[in-house]
Amino acid sequence: MAVEAQEVAKPTPAKGVMRRSHSGLATTGLLAPPTLWLAIFFLVPVVLILLYSVNLFSLYPGGQYFTLDAWKDFLDGGPFLQLFWKSIWMSLAVSVIAVVAAYPIAYYLALVASKRKYVLLLLILAPFLVSYFLRLLAWKVILGDQGVINSFLYWTGLRAEDDPVTWLLYSKFAVVLTLIYVYVPFVALPIFASLESMDRRLLEAAADLGASRWQAFRKVTLPLSLPGVIAAFIFVFIPTIGEYFTPLLVGGVNGTMFGNAIADQFGQSLNWLNGSVLSFFLLLVVALLMGVFARYLTIRRVATG
Amino acid sequence: MSTEHDGETTKRTLGRGDFLKLGALTVGSGVLAACGAEGAPEPEPAAQGSTEKAEERPPIESEPGDLEVFEWAGYEFPTYGGKGGPLQPYVDAYGKPKYVFLTSDDQAIGKVRAGYRPDTVHPCVDYTGNWVEMGVVQPWDTSLISNFKDLEPALVKGGQVDGQQYFIPADWGFSSPLYRADKVEPDGEESWTLMYDDRYKGKISWWDSPLENFVIWGYVNGIDDPWEMTDDELDEGRDFLISKKHLCRNFWSSQTDMDADFAAGNIWIAYAWGGSYTGAKKAGLDVVYSDPKEGRLGWNCGFVLIKDTDNFRHAHEYVNTWVSAESALWNITNYAYGMANTNLDLAKIDPDLVAVFHLDDPAAREEPRAHYARPLTTERRAAYAQRWDEVKAA
Repeated sequence: MAVEAQEVAKPTPAKGVMRRSHSGLATTGLLAPPTLWLAIFFLVPVVLILLYSVNLFSLYPGGQYFTLDAWKDFLDGGPFLQLFWKSIWMSLAVSVIAVVAAYPIAYYLALVASKRKYVLLLLILAPFLVSYFLRLLAWKVILGDQGVINSFLYWTGLRAEDDPVTWLLYSKFAVVLTLIYVYVPFVALPIFASLESMDRRLLEAAADLGASRWQAFRKVTLPLSLPGVIAAFIFVFIPTIGEYFTPLLVGGVNGTMFGNAIADQFGQSLNWLNGSVLSFFLLLVVALLMGVFARYLTIRRVATG
Repeated sequence: MSTEHDGETTKRTLGRGDFLKLGALTVGSGVLAACGAEGAPEPEPAAQGSTEKAEERPPIESEPGDLEVFEWAGYEFPTYGGKGGPLQPYVDAYGKPKYVFLTSDDQAIGKVRAGYRPDTVHPCVDYTGNWVEMGVVQPWDTSLISNFKDLEPALVKGGQVDGQQYFIPADWGFSSPLYRADKVEPDGEESWTLMYDDRYKGKISWWDSPLENFVIWGYVNGIDDPWEMTDDELDEGRDFLISKKHLCRNFWSSQTDMDADFAAGNIWIAYAWGGSYTGAKKAGLDVVYSDPKEGRLGWNCGFVLIKDTDNFRHAHEYVNTWVSAESALWNITNYAYGMANTNLDLAKIDPDLVAVFHLDDPAAREEPRAHYARPLTTERRAAYAQRWDEVKAA
């Protein structure tokens, strides 16, 4: 784009300068509202949470002084830090499985389905027309002790009726399963986009050079779609670390995640100081991960593009 | 209490004073605010919690009437009482209130503390002090509540702070283990230890509330005062609860969800209120509402009035309807909760409910057979809450 503009600018410099300053103004004008929005509704709250977490700010002021006690308690390896690691593991499991499950779908849509692909894409997104809450309730019906799966097991005689598979619902398993279910369509999209934009002639070239289909996939398709895969992974991993609603509904005693602890600190316990520590820690980790992923993504792009 | 808050109150009071002097009954709130901003020279004594008398209030017609009630699910019109039920007169006269649901007293306080302002809230009496302490409620004008005279004096007294009626008692009830008689066989005497029974691993549900699980443990273990435990006792309780939490299927936070789990057979034993008993009965389950040897827990909830509400009179009318004798009869019949309204004919109530909830036996509602929730300071509450969060996170 920049090169184009310069080329156009050469013959008529005056006009070009005008145009550039014009576009500069337009850029500022267009960027100002979202920047302001982010500053007011993102940066300021984040700073307030940080101040809250070191007891320098409070909605109900009284004895504000700088202290790192809450941070120390948290980082000392108490239950909340352990819960955080547990949440990381759970969302890692969700992300990896969701990406692996979504890849064939995206592959099929982008490279095999041809004309029908957009219709099929819409079908994949169709569940989003139903509220998430209802879909979770449906999972409860499927996974419960008298639910679809257990009833089927009773019917086939694989399980006795007074011995249901209880870990299906109100467990880590239930949380991971429902999260995968929710995120697969989200994950399929970026992978689909990267496969879609791939130059098909590369596959032809691979075939011409004697590569088998599997070799072509491994050496050409997969590396080219990696940015999409990583983007997809981030799409799941980042939001699920702080997941709150799903564990609340199907997590039971063991499926609790870090987001629930944060909600409890702010809601039930009224311990906003501690809650701020947990939230800010989560934000830090997520920002760090984003940084790492973003770097990896660019290098990849440079390497492949 | 913050100074900011006091300032806010004074400003609004001044605005109202001007408003009345001018006698301009139809002036909008924008003008009202402007009057306040001009700094009308009528400083009011900053008496804490002083009631603005009803006669200083604009008549009910000039209130917005969009009453917002922060309420327990199941207590809202038309679920509560049904169409044509005890809340119908209010709805006919003033329209259906807007309901926002609370799941526990702590959650409600958290939400209001974060800035949410309904017109009236339905907390439990042991939290009244915390509400007053927060500076977000004002005393009721009991002269506007015609049913007030029928309310049980002991409960009415419990709702007073510094001699002012900050809390109108409405409903009371028990908390006790509810269990499936066809699946569960208590080990010896009825006891709260059923909540920790290894034989029913994965079939138990505790209430997700910071206080009660420790209090129960306290009564089971003969702690001197389970409502005022020391940090050491709480630590011990926390460790015990962590060691037993694997027996639980979940910690329930919404009664509707718990009832559904109970009906679906996902849980067999739960910390429960009376409504879950009647609900399970209606669903055709064979259930027992336990009378544990350590005593049932008891609770008493009612209404507090948010400071600066625009619907002062509407809130009074609504609460008056809610605590009526008709409402009491409906509540006891359908949810098996007791009501503060004493104007009640027990003969009209299902004898099973009268027996299970000892409605004809006031002694069953007193120590040592029932332990009513007691007020805690914000500091003590925080100590319980912190450990409950640790139990949940562990």
